[in-house]
Amino acid sequence: MTNEFLLIDRIIAGEQQLYAELINRYKSYAFTIALKILQNRPEAEETAQDAFIKAYHALDKFNRESKFSTWLYRIVFNTAISYKRKHKAIFQSLDNVVIGHAQEGENRLEHDDRKRFIEQGMSKLNDADRLAVNLFYLQEFSLEEIGAITGMQANTVKVRVHRARQKLADELKNILQKEALTL
Amino acid sequence: MKISQAEEERLQEYIDGTLSAVEKDQVEQLIKNSPALQSRLSELNMLDTTLRSTRMEHPSDRFTHSIMGKLQAASLGNTSLSLRNSVFLLAGVLLVVGIGSVLVGSGVFDGTSSIDLNETLKNKYIPESFPTITLSGKLIMNIIIIINLAIAFIILDRAVLKPWFARRTRMHA
Repeated sequence: MTNEFLLIDRIIAGEQQLYAELINRYKSYAFTIALKILQNRPEAEETAQDAFIKAYHALDKFNRESKFSTWLYRIVFNTAISYKRKHKAIFQSLDNVVIGHAQEGENRLEHDDRKRFIEQGMSKLNDADRLAVNLFYLQEFSLEEIGAITGMQANTVKVRVHRARQKLADELKNILQKEALTL
Repeated sequence: MKISQAEEERLQEYIDGTLSAVEKDQVEQLIKNSPALQSRLSELNMLDTTLRSTRMEHPSDRFTHSIMGKLQAASLGNTSLSLRNSVFLLAGVLLVVGIGSVLVGSGVFDGTSSIDLNETLKNKYIPESFPTITLSGKLIMNIIIIINLAIAFIILDRAVLKPWFARRTRMHA
């Protein structure tokens, strides 16, 4: 972490090109977080880029009490949430997603199908629940770190993960029952 | 049979492996005696297995290059003065205006002087006579003060307020 802080010091001192190193280190997680919230690759990419630019301009305000990654992902989270609020009207409505289920539910539920149905179930969750469960399953973050990124207590994150999983399990169960009826 | 919320929570903790050995034994006993819990555990396990295969997503290859390009373009477009230096410059201009106003107010520039070009130039170099130019120190100082005030407004707008609002917009966008 000290090396990372030294790198940040050099960037603040004017070595702008070194910022590419930080971007390469964290871009995949940043992009994944944005994608899990926005569920649209081009928008997630644009949002993650904006977040990196915002982080660059605020680099001298990073107080180093937390990991740089946690601070950065918090910016990504806030940027993606505010992007979604601004562009709420153009997002796919949940009703369309439900219709999609019924039309696609002809095949057997193999692993990939399950994944697809879970993704659809994910879109019914609120942003914080969806992100909590996604970050939890990326298995990179502790509950405390997820809390720091999303601005919640670790215990609240745990509750959200459990609640999200409960809803997803119910959703999957419903789909399985529908599948059984069509066989 | 429907399972309770407490049982649901227990099952989730069981899956996450966060129960103590004693609690784990208790939950396993409960599952053994309840077909509803067995069925729910199977659903949660299926979900858990699928979610564990969640993979990291990767942005396009242009991602880093694109950000660095935007940063470079932004730094080239920025004024060469930092916000702090701009404030110093503005303070300096206003100080000049202040000193000038005080001096004008105290009557230092109340007198007038005139330049008679005829004394030095007529007959010596050029035959024609020239008009006498009268200089009012107060008028000149007032013009200088007005020009400085205009410069101060331009500095305030271009080098202080615009970068400040741009920075705020970037932070809150």
